[in-house]
Amino acid sequence: MSQVSIPNVKIAVIDDDLLARDFIVTVLMYCVNRDVLSFDSGLAAWQYMEDHGSLDIIISGIDVSGLSGFELLSKFKKKYPEKKCLLMSADPAHESSARDLGADAFLAKPVGVNDLFKVVETFVV
Amino acid sequence: MIRFGPAPREMKSMSNEDIFSSRLKLLIIMTKAYLKDCPIGEYRKQAILENARFVFYQSLKLSSEIAAITNEASRTQSGTDSPGDMNDAYIFHQRTQLLAVMAKALAENRLKGQFRKKALQDNLNSICETLIFNFHIKDMNFLKVA
Repeated sequence: MSQVSIPNVKIAVIDDDLLARDFIVTVLMYCVNRDVLSFDSGLAAWQYMEDHGSLDIIISGIDVSGLSGFELLSKFKKKYPEKKCLLMSADPAHESSARDLGADAFLAKPVGVNDLFKVVETFVV
Repeated sequence: MIRFGPAPREMKSMSNEDIFSSRLKLLIIMTKAYLKDCPIGEYRKQAILENARFVFYQSLKLSSEIAAITNEASRTQSGTDSPGDMNDAYIFHQRTQLLAVMAKALAENRLKGQFRKKALQDNLNSICETLIFNFHIKDMNFLKVA
């Protein structure tokens, strides 16, 4: 582990739970030492990508307003199949749907610091 | 698809307590990484400051609540927790707030000198003893790149 495999990695966190979202952003910003984008709806994240181009990794809640996490995953993977999409939820029933729709990872809530470190180790470093 | 996080039976929404304990754990990792000379870039400094701010104010709120409960219990002599337990919790939160202040100082390049670093290490040790915190230093090797 001697170098970052995605230089200037662009990550976004999408969740309507402000406290959880800010926590995840803080952990990721610390780990990658880069700015991490934050959106409270799937639609806002999608509009950002329409205006500014793709992000390397998106981490989205499933029950978010605008576009749900599942809808965002489908659109994102259709347009940017090589990029990574991680879905997170507190509902175990969402896991199989995330797998079927092609999510790269599923983060079960409550998300811990070590879980996010593993995400960075798996997808960034 | 890779899976991260707790087993299905343990899944739940993130409560304020989950966020506080996770952020406190992150603050401990941040300060331990500093003592291990992991590099600190601008965004890491920003993350440390944001995390320290959250932990400080949440801990301040919790210690105020503990003080209020202790005062009420001593007034009525009908507390459910022993005074010793409440005092330990109060001291733990004072140490947590001190850790947040130290983290802010290190992010602002003000935590210099061997005695300040020793004070940080002693405070970390005390907090970790209280938490029975089991995070091994090898787990953060990837922080050595920036």
